[in-house]
Amino acid sequence: MNWKHLFTGGAAMVACFAAGTAQAQSSATLKPAEIDHMVRAEWQKEGVVPAAPADDARYLRRIYLDITGNIPPAEVVSEFLADKSPNKRVQAVDRLLDSPGYVSNWTNYWDRTLMFGRVEQARVVDKGAFRLWLTEQFDKNTPWNKFVYDLITATGQNSIGGDYRKTRLGLVPASTTDADGHQINGATNWVLRFQGKPEDLSGTASKIFLGVQIQCAQCHDHKTEKWKQTDFRSFTACFVNTRPQPVNPEGFRDKMLKDYRMNLVDVNRPFVPRGKKAGNAAEYAASKPTALDGTDFSESANRRQGLAQWMTAKENPWFAEAIVNRMWSHFLGRGFVEPIDDFRPSNPTIMPDLMARLSDDFVASGYDMKHLIRTICTTQVYNLSSAPAGKTDPDNTLWARFRLKPMNPSQLVDSLVQATNTKPALEKYAGGNLDAIKLNVERQFSFLFDVDEEFEQKDFEGTIPQALLLLNGGIVNTSVTPIPGTALADTLTMPGTDAQKIEALYLRTLSRKPTATELTKWTQFLNEPREMVADNGAPQARPAQPMRPNGKAANAAGKGGKKMQAPTGFNPLARAANRIDPAFKTAKGQAYEDLFWALLNSSEFLFNH
Amino acid sequence: MKPTNISEEEMDYLEDLEEERVREENGGSCPGPVDSFATPTLDRRGFVKVGLGGMLSLMMAQWLDPRAAMAAQQAGAPKKAKACILLWMNGGPSHLDTWDPKPGAATGGPLKSIKTRIPGVEISEHMPQIADVANHLAIVRGMSSKEGNHQRAQYLMHTGYSPNPTIQHPSLGGWVSEELGDPKFDLPSFVSISGPSLSAGFLGVQYGPLVIQQPGQPPANVGYAPGVNMTRFDMRQNALGMLENEFSAETGDIKVKGRDAVYGKAVRMMRSPHLKAFEITDEPEAVKTAYGDTNFGRGCLMARRLVESGVKFVEVVLDGWDTHTDNFNRVTKQMNTYDPAMATLIKDLEERKLLDSTLVIWMGEFGRTPKINGNDGRDHFPGAWSAVMAGGGVRGGQAYGQTDAEGTKVVDKQVIVPDLFATISTVLGMNPSKSFMTPVGRPIAITEKGAAVKDLLA
Repeated sequence: MNWKHLFTGGAAMVACFAAGTAQAQSSATLKPAEIDHMVRAEWQKEGVVPAAPADDARYLRRIYLDITGNIPPAEVVSEFLADKSPNKRVQAVDRLLDSPGYVSNWTNYWDRTLMFGRVEQARVVDKGAFRLWLTEQFDKNTPWNKFVYDLITATGQNSIGGDYRKTRLGLVPASTTDADGHQINGATNWVLRFQGKPEDLSGTASKIFLGVQIQCAQCHDHKTEKWKQTDFRSFTACFVNTRPQPVNPEGFRDKMLKDYRMNLVDVNRPFVPRGKKAGNAAEYAASKPTALDGTDFSESANRRQGLAQWMTAKENPWFAEAIVNRMWSHFLGRGFVEPIDDFRPSNPTIMPDLMARLSDDFVASGYDMKHLIRTICTTQVYNLSSAPAGKTDPDNTLWARFRLKPMNPSQLVDSLVQATNTKPALEKYAGGNLDAIKLNVERQFSFLFDVDEEFEQKDFEGTIPQALLLLNGGIVNTSVTPIPGTALADTLTMPGTDAQKIEALYLRTLSRKPTATELTKWTQFLNEPREMVADNGAPQARPAQPMRPNGKAANAAGKGGKKMQAPTGFNPLARAANRIDPAFKTAKGQAYEDLFWALLNSSEFLFNH
Repeated sequence: MKPTNISEEEMDYLEDLEEERVREENGGSCPGPVDSFATPTLDRRGFVKVGLGGMLSLMMAQWLDPRAAMAAQQAGAPKKAKACILLWMNGGPSHLDTWDPKPGAATGGPLKSIKTRIPGVEISEHMPQIADVANHLAIVRGMSSKEGNHQRAQYLMHTGYSPNPTIQHPSLGGWVSEELGDPKFDLPSFVSISGPSLSAGFLGVQYGPLVIQQPGQPPANVGYAPGVNMTRFDMRQNALGMLENEFSAETGDIKVKGRDAVYGKAVRMMRSPHLKAFEITDEPEAVKTAYGDTNFGRGCLMARRLVESGVKFVEVVLDGWDTHTDNFNRVTKQMNTYDPAMATLIKDLEERKLLDSTLVIWMGEFGRTPKINGNDGRDHFPGAWSAVMAGGGVRGGQAYGQTDAEGTKVVDKQVIVPDLFATISTVLGMNPSKSFMTPVGRPIAITEKGAAVKDLLA
């Protein structure tokens, strides 16, 4: 293969090349200290003073949010703070990598990344089966190259059939075999979501897995960029032989049966040069199928497999770097390349040598995601405090202090439920279906907190409706009341002083102990004279727009006449509010609620820092 | 004969199957919806694009195109809209049964047409009130686009661009909010009623829509939670303020300040006198009746109140246009809903001296097939359809462009989507070619290929 002609100059691309040749190693050798050494040298060169190391509590909260997508339970914080073991941080990382939270967090992450936004072929896309496939991969810690290969080349049956939206909501037990005994390959649903739009499939695959925005060349050639329209067409031509075939053609055409089970197959026609046809898909079919470096799949028995082999090959300079950059950005808040999926010569790379070194090591580890995460989380760079020390680069491009990251919707919902300990109450009062309820709540938050994780967030990108949801919304406001079994009820019931109760609330929300000043201040706040406010009406048990857990509301601008309704006001806890012990309904009880409310609305809670 | 109780969703699906079948017959390479084959849209400026970079071709296009020069002159003209109300017809309304009737033609259907206050221009019999204010309307009968799938076409007609996975284009409301919005105003500049509209894309979430699900409702969560009154809310705010000060001092981070600023705006909105604009119950019964006792009518009334209070872009959605079956009864019902609402909106704006400064747009994502299908329905049809503009900066009292005798293709004065967007932005005093840097470092303008249609400008 000829990689060399790709590189049109620039240090970044030279580094890419170096990465591609270094796969002779048989095992990973990169120590976190080596990363720290490289970054420290860069700080010295730029005259940047790094922040002090983060304390134990802040570090623990950070790895919980980054690895499992949730804040730590209060008792885990206490145990960790009491632990005298010198390498307790590394041990904590290892524990989290083996926890169920790791699997659910990365399932969520890749579900968001791969199934984002509008899904055009909604009826044949079984998102539940896709999630199940993702869960299986993160549970097994499937090597990244296999993960991507299996996804790109997926064939077979998409779904067990039936109303599979229910599977996604956890209303029907997930299964990998249908009633006819057919084996399911949930990965097919990702390819199916682009059916009829091969250019979106190729553009997305290139962007996410190679960090190359070749689709920018779809409309016209850019003078300054490498990719031309013909490159894009040729790359897309690798995907045009993929076809869905109904498993049960009768049931598929029958409006009553609605059997949308599909078999995804490759119709492997060799490429025959034809005259250029007008129109969208014809253009791609008439293009010679090649990879980005010109590797030709015209003769290939299966173009899609050929392309996937090329994409995930050790020699491919983009493949490992794209994921290493993505993961570095996830943990450190800024990638070597930003936006993380836009590698091109005209887009400068920060510390290309470090990115290349990490990529080498990732390849050498056998594309082991857990290895990569462990390496990043145990560097001193990742361990730094978010509080600046001395002269710091204002843009903080060199990670000299930990970059604040706003929680995403699923982190926020999980952390709110964790901090308020409302899960048992949700199960008890909302009549089971916890997953469906959580999904509904998460949808409400997702709609309002739609942050684009592909871009470095320089400033806080928030909206008024988001703030209003947290300030006045039913979920937060009901969760801070002393519903039996939840956090505030337990705190108020526990023996001890106000100071001890304040500490308990701090551990639950901010995952740390309060300082002496904070204790004094809040003790005073709780004991200030105040009047109790009577309930000004029962909380809304039902949302204005009834939300049925059927998944429909999730489709923004749905097909046909069906517009998405913004799911606001859904509060599964509302019914539990009248179980509150009257003994707590005092002015001081309300002062506690107000403190709890303020903690949950604080930046310290809402950012990963 | 297909059963008549088939749902729209299923119908769409059958269309997809038909596309797939045609695709197979064409050797695995057939694009898009079947409907769009009839009228491929021409790219009139294709010659300019060849071999030139994006920005350069844009400049050249304006230089070469007299209409663009005209539009540039218009930028200094005094009569400009300052706000926009988009009446969004979700699902794709049939042009033949609304603004471009062809009674007697094989494709015309059973509905009759009536005269309007534009000499020689007729519209459907089910728009009598609108016919009476037609002197304000510019009926664009030569719309033509290429997207025949709902989602893609809804994206196209909200943003001016076809979807592309590499970029989130801002919707029109996002552009207006960014360009015309007053940062000091205490409500969001972009309000979407009965639908989420589309986001402001790369411009940032702060320019996105405030969504009102149900017209007549206040925005979600602007009121205090149960058990909280103003005194208690202030106590909570004080407590929160203490936490924020400490964290801000500890980190010195711009994001903490940014977040606090958003919270500050939210609290300001909770206390804003402009919130009254959402309370249509204050309106006299006669006014409410005139707009119609429908969600869409209430939405239009709310839109007028919002524009009056200083909101810059309001989108009101009328759903239910995806009439693959029983087209004529359903379209009639739709017209009965929007005829009083839209006509009253125009009259109301005029009486309040707001029509000169407000652009009203009526459109959906595409038109529908002239051919009537076996279920008395019409299917998706982007090749030829109608959109309507009225109000400030628009030359009213005309039907612009023409389709053939059967309504199947545009035969005169075709308006492509970029041209429509250039016209809208010119009317609103926004430079259609002003480009913004996207996060991926490529400039994007409101429209890159379009030029304002001078005959539509006042």
